[in-house]
Amino acid sequence: MNLFVAAFGFGLVSMSVIAIAAVGFTMQFGITNMINLAYGEVMISSAYLAYYLNKAGISIWIGMVAGALFGSVFSFLLNRLVYAPFMRKGTANLGMVIVSLAVSLMISNLLLPIVGFYSVSYQEDPGSLIRLGSIALTRDQIIVIAIAVVLMLGIHALLTYSRLGKAMRATAANPTLARNCGIPTQRVIDSVWLITGALCGLAGVVAALNADSFAIANGSAFLITILAAAVLGGAGQPYGAMIGAVLIGLITELSAAAWSPEYKEVVAFGILVLVMVLRPQGLLAKRGALAAAG
Amino acid sequence: MRGFERYKVISALGAMVVLAACGGSTSTGGSGLGSGPLLVGVIAPFSGADAGLGPAYYAACLAAAPSINNNGGVGGRQVSCQKFDTRGEPADAVPAANAMIASNSNLMAVVGCTSDEAATVAPIIDRGHIPMFCMTGQTEFNKTTLKYFHRLVPADIYDAYAMVGSALYGPGHAPYKKAALVFGNDIGSQAFVAPATNAFTKLGGTIAINQPINLTPGTSYRTEVAAMLATHPDVILTEALGAAGTYLKEVKTQNGGQMIPFIGTSATIDPQWFQQVRDAIGVDDLVKYYAGVDLGYTFAGPAYDEFITNLNAAASTFADAPKYKQRGSTLHLYDGIIMTALAMTATNSADPTVYNSKIKEIANGTSGATVVNTYKDGVAAIKAGKSIQFVGAGGQNSFDAFNNSVAGYIWVTYDNQGNEVKAGQMTPAQTATIAQAGGI
Repeated sequence: MNLFVAAFGFGLVSMSVIAIAAVGFTMQFGITNMINLAYGEVMISSAYLAYYLNKAGISIWIGMVAGALFGSVFSFLLNRLVYAPFMRKGTANLGMVIVSLAVSLMISNLLLPIVGFYSVSYQEDPGSLIRLGSIALTRDQIIVIAIAVVLMLGIHALLTYSRLGKAMRATAANPTLARNCGIPTQRVIDSVWLITGALCGLAGVVAALNADSFAIANGSAFLITILAAAVLGGAGQPYGAMIGAVLIGLITELSAAAWSPEYKEVVAFGILVLVMVLRPQGLLAKRGALAAAG
Repeated sequence: MRGFERYKVISALGAMVVLAACGGSTSTGGSGLGSGPLLVGVIAPFSGADAGLGPAYYAACLAAAPSINNNGGVGGRQVSCQKFDTRGEPADAVPAANAMIASNSNLMAVVGCTSDEAATVAPIIDRGHIPMFCMTGQTEFNKTTLKYFHRLVPADIYDAYAMVGSALYGPGHAPYKKAALVFGNDIGSQAFVAPATNAFTKLGGTIAINQPINLTPGTSYRTEVAAMLATHPDVILTEALGAAGTYLKEVKTQNGGQMIPFIGTSATIDPQWFQQVRDAIGVDDLVKYYAGVDLGYTFAGPAYDEFITNLNAAASTFADAPKYKQRGSTLHLYDGIIMTALAMTATNSADPTVYNSKIKEIANGTSGATVVNTYKDGVAAIKAGKSIQFVGAGGQNSFDAFNNSVAGYIWVTYDNQGNEVKAGQMTPAQTATIAQAGGI
């Protein structure tokens, strides 16, 4: 077995998980201007919902759909009830980051007495190993990759061909002008939170399935990787987040094969720092894109 | 003799009688036990990757408090427990320790302080002059100069030797020749690597791979497992708390459904670890392929009986408390709190600078000491003017010059219900051989 080829295969799974999460996160920021640090907690909440459904005998794949729906509604309500009121009051961007951090802490501390501190696992047979040369993946891992591909194509189709997607892009570029052109920006923003919330919820279940066992702490830990992928690709750029996910997913696994696995995150974030030094706006965003979005 | 002089003689005689009566007591005539509630601080991770550690220590306190409170308290003072979450990170542990000491003038003892944070918080607690019972096996505490530091579990080095012993001499298998070391990259886990490597290689074994793994929640370990399997080890020596289930499930998946024998440290004798691994690889494979090491507990006797009664009663406060009935750390910290309360009673002092040194004396005993197994019996013996040696739920302690207590290890497995089952024990000769090979 060639370890590097095997690591490449594992990297495909990692990047798929990161991509689903990072695209949702960066779309939230790009269109609503909200850095939602509670994203990880919404993910883990959805993962736990799927866990309890799975524990009651329901297939994890149905649980995944339920997690997506939960994430969608949760994110929508989070914006409507918490973030939007603060924004209407003119809270600065940094203030909104603090608000989302507070929400993140509240969610995780509210969840802890309910779900406990023990790690849990889905009762799911991952299927036998399917080998293609040195690449060895289970059935579930291949399904995760397929889900990610379908979702990325779906996001591309939404943004490129649909009226809603075009309205999203217009709102992201200039919300005032979009509103003046007759685009119902509030409805667009609501749609964004519903769609990205669904991605968030789905990502939570996928990430939990990928990790085999999970606990509350997984939410905040995963957010760091999501942020890295989003920033690497260019904040607010869904296609950038996809590229960021590919790079981080593959680099972490390949570096584990080439070097010591304890440094794989160091390598991934080292690459991020290097890119930020050479191209501060990220791989795909134009220079000043952050300022424009802010 | 004139009346006044007679009075002086009688008074002097009376004083001599009183002093003679006091001389047989172990009390050093302290300044009194004061009033108001007493607090035991449980400083440990209650969140984060090592969140499974803190609850075991909290359970110990919840069991110890009624042992003391139901028998008059400490001079009438009732003991309570409070958690101080370090999140398993030194950066969070330092403010937690400072807040604990600054905000609580009635701290009688501190328990917990794991390898995640002991190096940073132990000096703080020592400066606060609070007796502490720390659950760290770090070598740096083998000869500590911290006067208020107590360790009721052996250094990690002995845990590592017991694992090597299991690999070489354990029951049910030929000596393993090739070992994979899979330990978390945290301070506590990495402490096992060097002594295990030294001992195993000097006794003819080979380290197939030394693989420190990142314990960040959500990590999948696929590449790590592929790299490990490529070295074809006979056995895996491991402590990767929080990640064990994920890693071992990946081993089973990538190895075509077949597990490799794995030996865990004493920290793997834990209900959470059992649940994680059982859910990951199935109970049959866990029971078949797992071997662990632990200190030799009897789980019986008057001390353990009182401990288990109070632990079960603590379920009303902390539902999971009864799960820790066989957790070594829970037993030891329970004993530590009881010994502290006895030390306060024996010295008749709530001043830690007075009673701290008494803890060691109560643990080790002095010549002619009365062995007691409960707080109630200890107080009775003290009031009767006797010196005592406390042998608690965790067994007899023997503090060395650095307040480290060492006991013998046994080899263990799990049954299907997650109960610890003794599988064997190293002979003194085997222990000596491994310690010689590994170095102290």
